Amino acid sequence: MAAPFPNATLATPVPPPLPSLINARRLRAQRLGRALRLWVPVGILALILGMCFLLPLVVTLPSSTAGNILYNNEPPFSPGHLLGTDVQGVDFFSMLVYGGQVAFEIGVAVTVIGIVIGGTIGVIGGFATGWLDAVLGRVLDILLAFPALVLALVIAEGLGPSEIHVIYALSFFGIPFVGRFARGATVTIRGLPYITAARLSGTRRWRIIVRHVLPNIMPSIVTISLLGIGITIILEGALDFLGYGIQQPEASWGNMIALGQQVLTAQPEYVLIPSIALLVTVASLNMLGDALRERWGTQ
Amino acid sequence: MTDALLQVDDLRVTFAVGGREVRAVDGVSFTVDPGRTLAIIGESGSGKTVCCRAILGLLPTGTAIGGSARLRGAELLGLSDAELRRYRGSDIAMVFQDPARSLNPTMRVGLQITEAIRTHRKVDRREAHTQAIELLRLVRMPAAERRFDEYPHQLSGGMRQRVMIAIALACRPKLLVADEATTALDVTTQAQIMELLLDLQTELDMALILISHDMGLAASYSDEVLVMYAGKIVEQAPATRLFGAEGAVRMRYTRALLDAIPHLERPAHAELPVVGGRPPDPTTRLPGCSFAPRCASAADDCLAKAPALLEHAPGHRWACWHPCENGVAS
Repeated sequence: MAAPFPNATLATPVPPPLPSLINARRLRAQRLGRALRLWVPVGILALILGMCFLLPLVVTLPSSTAGNILYNNEPPFSPGHLLGTDVQGVDFFSMLVYGGQVAFEIGVAVTVIGIVIGGTIGVIGGFATGWLDAVLGRVLDILLAFPALVLALVIAEGLGPSEIHVIYALSFFGIPFVGRFARGATVTIRGLPYITAARLSGTRRWRIIVRHVLPNIMPSIVTISLLGIGITIILEGALDFLGYGIQQPEASWGNMIALGQQVLTAQPEYVLIPSIALLVTVASLNMLGDALRERWGTQ
Repeated sequence: MTDALLQVDDLRVTFAVGGREVRAVDGVSFTVDPGRTLAIIGESGSGKTVCCRAILGLLPTGTAIGGSARLRGAELLGLSDAELRRYRGSDIAMVFQDPARSLNPTMRVGLQITEAIRTHRKVDRREAHTQAIELLRLVRMPAAERRFDEYPHQLSGGMRQRVMIAIALACRPKLLVADEATTALDVTTQAQIMELLLDLQTELDMALILISHDMGLAASYSDEVLVMYAGKIVEQAPATRLFGAEGAVRMRYTRALLDAIPHLERPAHAELPVVGGRPPDPTTRLPGCSFAPRCASAADDCLAKAPALLEHAPGHRWACWHPCENGVAS
């Protein structure tokens, strides 16, 4: 007997609901995850930046360079000193705030130098091809081949310790870092038909770079720059730690760790607090970069 | 016969790939007359695109290009990018296959048109804006003023291709090369874009080179058809002669391509005739006819010696030792 439908179907009054291809709950969770991945690091960074740059304007913090030796080695949460004081009696929270200012100043300055100089070299090299690209590419390769910290150490040692010298020294890492990336992004864009189309309609080369290449590599450059700021802050910390960067009595996260290291067993918080500040800052920068990469769909 | 707009003589393009020579275009000659349409037909890798890119100077540096391509008597081959800028856009323009990637995603489409206008003409922003809107109207873009301020992702594939055509036409070129310009579009849009190109061709009196692998397209829209195989022209004839009722196809490759087009009159579920085998490896050169290994009626002489492209009938050139009789494969 050939029934038009299988009996099971006929016997069931209400057909079972089809499994939905889109799970609403999972979709909501995905959206929430996406939003959190962007806004959590943004929030943390806003908090840290606010603490470093706005707070000193609003409240009068104790000096970050000099303290009263009578109140030295105060534990955290003591009156007048939120995070306590160090051996010299200098307020630890103030040091953290001013050290953060230095870290961000150096991180941003090095990355901006990297974008301006490295980006220019990378875009010109990536667009030019031929011998110019070969020369510029090799220069960036050679700079990148040096271990960044060792190179920065040598330069910082030669220039002497100061904030601006740390910026110069770390730029030798920042320039090839952004440059290599800008070159790669430019090469990808250059092969796309709209660049050929622009060439075909007789557009001048610099105009193609400014109007067609730069706006299209900008998302990638911004993403990599956030990563660059993070790496720069770590390198800056390392330079300070080793005594080639910002030096006492000026505060920086790196030299705070270096000082704390001497009393590591007695007062581990002196190492822990600046380390955590460094970790949270760099992790947030990386997370923000990843979130933007996810949103903009860049590599 | 009028003076040729574009005259290509013995064009040869050789790429060096991994130390081996690849002859992408091997001695191609043709002319394009003002206001006429030439269709270049061939399968992937037959050299049709490379041929046109060589003429426009778009091949990567280090490619060996020989022969000559003259635009109204002026040699184009061997010119630098700066020298070519004089011709690009104003004399020759090109529309590509992929409208999705042919527009800058970060620029409003209107600005991309005004950029093309202002590259060649000294006009102010306002005038360029007016001209761009006119161009958008010319390419039958609905709501031209509104589209001017939109980004490419807001347009459909057909509309993007219209914008590309508007950019190509910005400076009223004498020759427009459409490289598979309608391949990425669906059939209805394809017909609209082709009609548009033909309308514009008569309106602006420009010549058109259609690069395609679509025989039907060539039959419906071109004056002259040029069939390429393995970097060479194998047959060239007026479209009416090739596709007309009398069907004067001679070269067996053209015949095989035509036979591969499905027809409604054929019985349902009948197997489609295909051109068996694959095109020859471009790094090796066959002594004989390059189509011989795939040709059903290849004889010993086909493998031994390559037939020359000769004009056997007025306006009809073909390269074959054993051409089809009356357009029918024997």
